[in-house]
Amino acid sequence: MQKNNPDAIVIGAGIVGACSALSLTNAGLKVMIIDRGSVASGTTGAGEGNILVSDKDPGPELTLALKSRDLWFELQEDVGDSFELEAKGGVVVARHDSSALMKLAEHQRAAGVTAERVNSAELHKLEPYLHPDLSEGVFYPQDAQCQPMLAAARIIQTVLARGGQLVSQARVTGFEISENTIKGVVTSRGTFHSPLVVNASGTWAGEIATLAGSQLPIAPRKGFILVTEPAPQYIFHKVYDSDYVANVASSDADLQTSTVVEGTRSGTILIGASRERIGFDGSMNFEIVRKLAAQATSLFPVLRDVQLLRVYRGFRPYAPDHLPVIGEDSLISGLWHSAGHEGAGIGLAPGSAALITDAILGRDSFMDAQAFSPQRFAGARL
Amino acid sequence: MIAIIGAGPAGLAAARAIALAGFAVTVIDAAQKPGGQYWRHRSTVDGYKATRSEKYFSTVMGNPLVTYINGAQVWSATRSEKSIYINYLQSGVEKRLTCTDLILTTGAYDRSLPFTGWDKPGSMTPGAAQALLKGHGVIAGKSIVISGTGPFLLPVAVGLAAGGAKVEGVFEANSPLRWLRSPLALLLNPEKALELLYYLKQFRRYSIPVRFGKAVTEFTGHSVRISDVNSDMTIKKTNVREIDCNVIATGWGFVPDITLGGILGCNQVVDKDGTVVFSVDNNQRSSIENIWIAGEATGIGGSDLALAEGHIAGLSVIGKRIPFSLNFSKFRKRLFARALQVSYPVNPGWKKWLNRQTLICRCEEVSCGQILDSVEELKAEDARTSKLFTRAGMGLCQGRICSRNVAEIIGESKELRVSDSERIAYSNRPIAAPISLGTLGDGISSK
Repeated sequence: MQKNNPDAIVIGAGIVGACSALSLTNAGLKVMIIDRGSVASGTTGAGEGNILVSDKDPGPELTLALKSRDLWFELQEDVGDSFELEAKGGVVVARHDSSALMKLAEHQRAAGVTAERVNSAELHKLEPYLHPDLSEGVFYPQDAQCQPMLAAARIIQTVLARGGQLVSQARVTGFEISENTIKGVVTSRGTFHSPLVVNASGTWAGEIATLAGSQLPIAPRKGFILVTEPAPQYIFHKVYDSDYVANVASSDADLQTSTVVEGTRSGTILIGASRERIGFDGSMNFEIVRKLAAQATSLFPVLRDVQLLRVYRGFRPYAPDHLPVIGEDSLISGLWHSAGHEGAGIGLAPGSAALITDAILGRDSFMDAQAFSPQRFAGARL
Repeated sequence: MIAIIGAGPAGLAAARAIALAGFAVTVIDAAQKPGGQYWRHRSTVDGYKATRSEKYFSTVMGNPLVTYINGAQVWSATRSEKSIYINYLQSGVEKRLTCTDLILTTGAYDRSLPFTGWDKPGSMTPGAAQALLKGHGVIAGKSIVISGTGPFLLPVAVGLAAGGAKVEGVFEANSPLRWLRSPLALLLNPEKALELLYYLKQFRRYSIPVRFGKAVTEFTGHSVRISDVNSDMTIKKTNVREIDCNVIATGWGFVPDITLGGILGCNQVVDKDGTVVFSVDNNQRSSIENIWIAGEATGIGGSDLALAEGHIAGLSVIGKRIPFSLNFSKFRKRLFARALQVSYPVNPGWKKWLNRQTLICRCEEVSCGQILDSVEELKAEDARTSKLFTRAGMGLCQGRICSRNVAEIIGESKELRVSDSERIAYSNRPIAAPISLGTLGDGISSK
């Protein structure tokens, strides 16, 4: 196929790839996006659109999340209000002992997060349908949500309008590399030359790194989401129990479930979140589905009579230390990675795009990205 | 323990074969009475050779070897190495049936094509009109027009007329001359001529006009507009006639219901008519050793073929030899089913009937224009991606009605053939029926 060779190639048309492509385009580069499927056909198309600061401990990821959350609203100015971005706020409910949650909130406040401790009356004013026995929680007004597939599509549409290219249904089969420097990407739809390649292929980023003769320890962490029939508005924020924060950070390979419940504009209710490390096994597990339903109805008894319509699953890309990988490859110069955002890819995408663009152009950035560097895995046995 | 899911012709034939051989079997079905979509749960059924259903009903009802679980909506199923676990809802309570061998006879539902006004009250499928009549004894409407393609339009028209409705006409899109392409199928199925004569007589009795090469392309709510259509389904001459009516029943063949077999992991293929069906061996055994599948879910073929396939599946499950006469009967009925596909194709020209305002997904009210925009602007390349952008197929029916149409509209706009893998993807669903979160979370109440 006839395509002009671009200044940069982004592999992956998910949210991380889309944001990276827009950021590079806005910096003046001609960008080509390559995807083995179509727009948002991987993990972006299987997520809830979480833009959260509430589930993160103080540290580099929280710094990135806070900046990224603000960048989402700037992005909306740039791309247009077309992907259901909404600062709906998060409510974390203490299910048993609240001390761990309150301690986390205190640390988060010190790091710049708005985290308001709420008593029983305030909690039930925020969420009137919450189980009456639940009496304590933390309100995070900065937590937001978007429709991630629409967001990726609208951002890519903007990239294309600004001179970018999209090559879909193109599976990467190899790279052209000379003297450890990237020269181009070989795909099932032809070879494209560029001195700059951003690997934003999410859960599959490790395979892409391997094709380039490097390595990246990104693995899938499977999750199910339950979708109900459209219901009256029972849920007003993103509501989750405090176990969620512990599970996100856990390195346990076994199944973990903790409740995340939220409404959507269409009236359907989304219920997550399970976490399992069983590779790319797409099979259905009804025991997990039952557990998620039981947890959600224990938070919101009113949901007992709401019908489950469908279930979908996705694979979160995670690194062993649960931090994203953002930076230049440790072996191949010109190959950059922005991947491994686990379940936070939507929230962290604009911030990650800013970091990688600044690093590529040698500009100062809003934070030190050392903690995200691929160098941290250099020499590790995979 | 042998279980059969579905009590239509295929399921009943399988149950009958098993019980007559002296084996126990459990039949589980969503309806209150046996018969399936075709025999519609009535002990006496009107129509051609209607009484033949009685011998099947009698074997199942009141036979000590047959356990009949009715009103049971199977919502999911799982399996271990030796067993299959069927989770179903009965009067709001979830129960589980465990079996070692399973026969799936999950049938099919009408295929709908969108046209201007198909979302208005009074627009339904022939199956829904027949269900209203047979299941509830209700006449779907006083003044009815029937359109689409396929022989199923005939018994529906006769049934509605016999029930007291004024059938204004049957408008069949395809030409009867297409039957000349299948001489062997006709020669081997001479009894079909008698069935045709029966219906022709009934049509004369109730003065139902039948017209070929025509289709309803617009419904206003109180009248329909008829167009002449070419063999590729494009419109030859638009609005040749307007007929007053308050009900329009349109059906374009059938869609096999493959959800449960899909959940259990049975291998699927795309049939010649574009429907997704299960691949089974000569004895109706699926790719999974202890699951057999019979009837429409292995390819649309009608009740005669379903009876033969169900009979074969029943004999195979209990290890009996399949007699040659039964295999030959299936062969010639399968040949006839192929002839039906050749005679009543739904060719791609129907997309030319649509305009940007025509609704494609009625549950979520997504228009043709929105789907085309999701391709043009948002770069959707398949039904799944378009669904994520537009919500087409995300409503209560979960795309059972629209997903094939969405995929074919996108395929045409991109000048690409819809791939088999996409057809299999949009045809499968993770759960077979809705279940309340309370019931789901409570788990199985009686084991």
